[in-house]
Amino acid sequence: MSRERRRTRASVALPVVPETPEVPVPPAAPAPRRKKVVAEAPPPYLLDFFPPETEAGTRLVRFFDRLREGRLSTTRCAKDDLLHWPPRTACPRCHTEELEWVDLPDRGRLYAFSAVLAGAPQGMERDVPFAVGLVDLDGAPLRLFGRVDGRPWNELEIGATVRVESYEVPDGRVFYRFRAIG
Amino acid sequence: MNGRTVAVVGGATTKFGVRATTWSELAQEIGAALFRAVPDLRARDVDSLFVGAAMPERLAFQSHVAPLAAEQMGIRPTRVIQRTELACASGQSAIRSAYAAIASGLSDIAVAVGVEKMNLPSMAEANTAMACVMDRAWDGPAGATAPPFFAMVAQRHMLEHRTTEEQMAAVSEKNHRFANSNPNAQFYEKTFPRDKLLRLPVVAPPLRLGDCSSMTDGAAAVVLASEDVVRQFPGPKAWIRGTGQYSDFHNLAHAGSLTEWPGLKRAASEALEMARIGVRDLDFAELHDCFSISEIVEYEALGLCAPGEGGRFVEDGRSDLGGDIVVNPRGGLLGCGHPLGATGIAQAVEVFEQFAGTVPSARQVPNPEWALVHNLSGSANVHSVMVYRRGRAA
Ligand SMILES: [Zn+2]
Repeated sequence: MSRERRRTRASVALPVVPETPEVPVPPAAPAPRRKKVVAEAPPPYLLDFFPPETEAGTRLVRFFDRLREGRLSTTRCAKDDLLHWPPRTACPRCHTEELEWVDLPDRGRLYAFSAVLAGAPQGMERDVPFAVGLVDLDGAPLRLFGRVDGRPWNELEIGATVRVESYEVPDGRVFYRFRAIG
Repeated sequence: MNGRTVAVVGGATTKFGVRATTWSELAQEIGAALFRAVPDLRARDVDSLFVGAAMPERLAFQSHVAPLAAEQMGIRPTRVIQRTELACASGQSAIRSAYAAIASGLSDIAVAVGVEKMNLPSMAEANTAMACVMDRAWDGPAGATAPPFFAMVAQRHMLEHRTTEEQMAAVSEKNHRFANSNPNAQFYEKTFPRDKLLRLPVVAPPLRLGDCSSMTDGAAAVVLASEDVVRQFPGPKAWIRGTGQYSDFHNLAHAGSLTEWPGLKRAASEALEMARIGVRDLDFAELHDCFSISEIVEYEALGLCAPGEGGRFVEDGRSDLGGDIVVNPRGGLLGCGHPLGATGIAQAVEVFEQFAGTVPSARQVPNPEWALVHNLSGSANVHSVMVYRRGRAA
């Protein structure tokens, strides 16, 4: 309290800046118009949505190695007979850290989908419009979310068959997406 | 309900919208507005401050925002100071944490404030921040953000229950109409008749611009007091009678049925049981209409209508003034905008002002006694609910 009072007293001798009547900004001041992004700079590290994929950054290297071979895989807890998604380092049910790797089916069916026609995050503006969807894998109790390529969004249908594929992303990394085939 | 009883004794909001101001300036503005709105509040009596802020690191390049907000507002907390982050429900989290601190005896008088500055010169940068709400490493690479997720909810609801775009527009039209009696709403004095809403551009099919809440800058604050000190505030009060919360999943692979929200059912029944009332006892509700379809699913999950009947419920005016229950008289997130950390608190301010009878007559619920506030966060994976009752004494 005393510190504050001292500060207040010291300020009394300072010259007052005269008011400029045209400058004051009321609480509801009109805001500047949003600018369109002109140049697309690469997003800085950790503004990139792709996860770390090497031993230096993750314990799930096997997932990405297998994906590089074109196969989608995940972890499974044998004790609980529980298939995980995304792949894990510890089972959420029994908390064991001893998990096995299994390959997932490479086909599935669209359960729901939409498309991003506006409002894409940085690094994805050039992809607009793009479709995303939830896919029920054939023969595995998993419904995965992902990008859906291979057909314009307005030609997709619920129930359409999709194939899982891997594709290269920045810095030699890989990720998975779906391709509509039926 | 254990512990001391807690009341909201006043509150305020700033103007919501695209604001030419900084995060810190918004905190000062809400501090000034709060002390004006609650003249019985003395800064030295506020022992605790809870700051709802969803993503200041990304949107204002600022961490450790709780002491920053305290300084901006002229408050020096002596008991509890902390930020609460729960994405779109960060504001209600601040209120629930303040409630818990007061009920337990740790705090006597607390302020819950929410501040969010979301509009940046680059919309892509703001969209990037919003995308981090999802499972960034696994759902993020596909381009997961809220609009395509809730678009899939709408698609499934249309498929399973024959819900129509017109019914979704009815939600948006109602909430924008209420927002026209709320000068602090982002879309104050902007009319959105249904035919206009149905012509707006598609953002994420089937959702159009008018089905989506917007990027909003704004702040809101409420004062909470224990029953032991409440006589300091002789005015009207909104007593917290119940609260519930449920966290279901995070990765979108675990969303289950998109059209039933069991987490909301569970959080709401917990809150209503705590208050010892049923959903039909509610006079109005502030529901989380981040998208028009959300409000429709929420009617059903709350049991205001049968599953699948949400579209008809709004179309028939049953969530409007004069209906079964008034939903979102403040103007909702669709009409007011959605500054994440401030939203849940602005809803509580509306409850207080409705109970006090101080809102414009165009949106005043007649003689309300019970109100429910709901926030979802992320992909509707977490639901947070509070139940308030009007009354002068505990
Ligand atoms: Zn296990």
